[in-house]
Amino acid sequence: MKKILFIEDEESLQRAMGSMLEQKKLEILKALNGEEGLVVAKKETPDLILLDLILPKKNGFEVLGELKKDPATKDIPIIVLTNLEGSSDIERALALGATTYLVKANYALEDIMMKIESVLEHK
Amino acid sequence: MENRWYDGLNLKKICGKYRVSIWQCPQFLFLVMGIIIIVAVLVAYVAASAYDQPELAALSVLILASVLFIIGHMIISAFEKVALSSLSKSEFISIMSHQLRSPLSAVKWQLNVMLSDDLRQEEKFSDHSRAYLEAIYGQNERMIRAVNDLLDVNRIEDRDLVLRPTLFSLFALTERIKKSYEKFSSANNVEIIAFSQDNLPMIFADEERIKRVIEHLIDNAVRYSTKKSEVKISMKYYGDQIDWKITDQGTGIPDADKPRIFDKFFRSVNASRYQTEGSGVGLFIAKSIIKMHGGAIGFSSELEKGSTFWFSLPIKK
Repeated sequence: MKKILFIEDEESLQRAMGSMLEQKKLEILKALNGEEGLVVAKKETPDLILLDLILPKKNGFEVLGELKKDPATKDIPIIVLTNLEGSSDIERALALGATTYLVKANYALEDIMMKIESVLEHK
Repeated sequence: MENRWYDGLNLKKICGKYRVSIWQCPQFLFLVMGIIIIVAVLVAYVAASAYDQPELAALSVLILASVLFIIGHMIISAFEKVALSSLSKSEFISIMSHQLRSPLSAVKWQLNVMLSDDLRQEEKFSDHSRAYLEAIYGQNERMIRAVNDLLDVNRIEDRDLVLRPTLFSLFALTERIKKSYEKFSSANNVEIIAFSQDNLPMIFADEERIKRVIEHLIDNAVRYSTKKSEVKISMKYYGDQIDWKITDQGTGIPDADKPRIFDKFFRSVNASRYQTEGSGVGLFIAKSIIKMHGGAIGFSSELEKGSTFWFSLPIKK
């Protein structure tokens, strides 16, 4: 079973994503802040990471930078899932190596599942 | 309201619009500066011809030049104040919109799970309950779109709208949006039909933004269809461009409103008569996005017969 790490501090979003991934027979790993996200990513080497940008302890950009620097985690595709949409945020995340940048409010969970499946396929 | 020629001289009205005091109002300061320049020239002339002391003339010109310099400085700082207040306003809009999006996306995702087809049988809601949940979902989507409109207008005005083009199928995108509008259109007694020329090529554009354009155009077509009717969408390509077209059998646009239809905040007389909803930014956003892609957008409309809106995009930019 493929493992997806979701780094997100909002519990209700974690729960909704978890239940949707479960339906798609994917395993979810949860992290509620940036530091925890890095620890879990290094320990479990998930198949894909969903990353929020505004996070307690380390923010999403820092997490993204560190994951892409570490040889153990640098090849894991990362989908940024945020409600920030400034052009500078998008450019920065993509420059740091994010695979895709999605605005949470504009994507239904079903659509995010499709994106996850297509990223996993092309991995 | 009609513009009269002397409105340009009504400084109280002009400065009131800027919400600044008279000594911070560029128009007023400019007028003062003009008067001082005229006085300065006259004084210099009189001083130079009446007295035999060129020092006195030079001195009076110097004093007046200093006054002009100070007023010039006041004008610049007044402009700066106006510019800064607009900047902080647009930052405020940006921050507030992101704040609004967090709870909106949380509601959206919870409902996605509750309405999911893959839910276990014992967890599924009755049709009765589903109808309520779907109504909540629909209203939540409306709020999300309103926030997106707010952000888009803000970004267009700040020139901060950056396109992220990818390769995608315009037909598939249209079909997906059409599906999401099924409930709304059947509630309005409208049937949406979409067809495309065979082998429509993929297009290289910003899918998310083009989605917003299509949403606005479908939304309008359905909204202004006052009777049971069809809304037809068609796509075809020639040369290096794709044409996308939507035709409704709705109320149409009065000739007088046609020139302003793409203006920001403009709502046609018919719009306010038949529809209380709407902010009047949809077509403004649509036009800005299509123009940024190097495309074209336009419409034709006949009162009581209906309207056709179209846009064309280069397949590759």
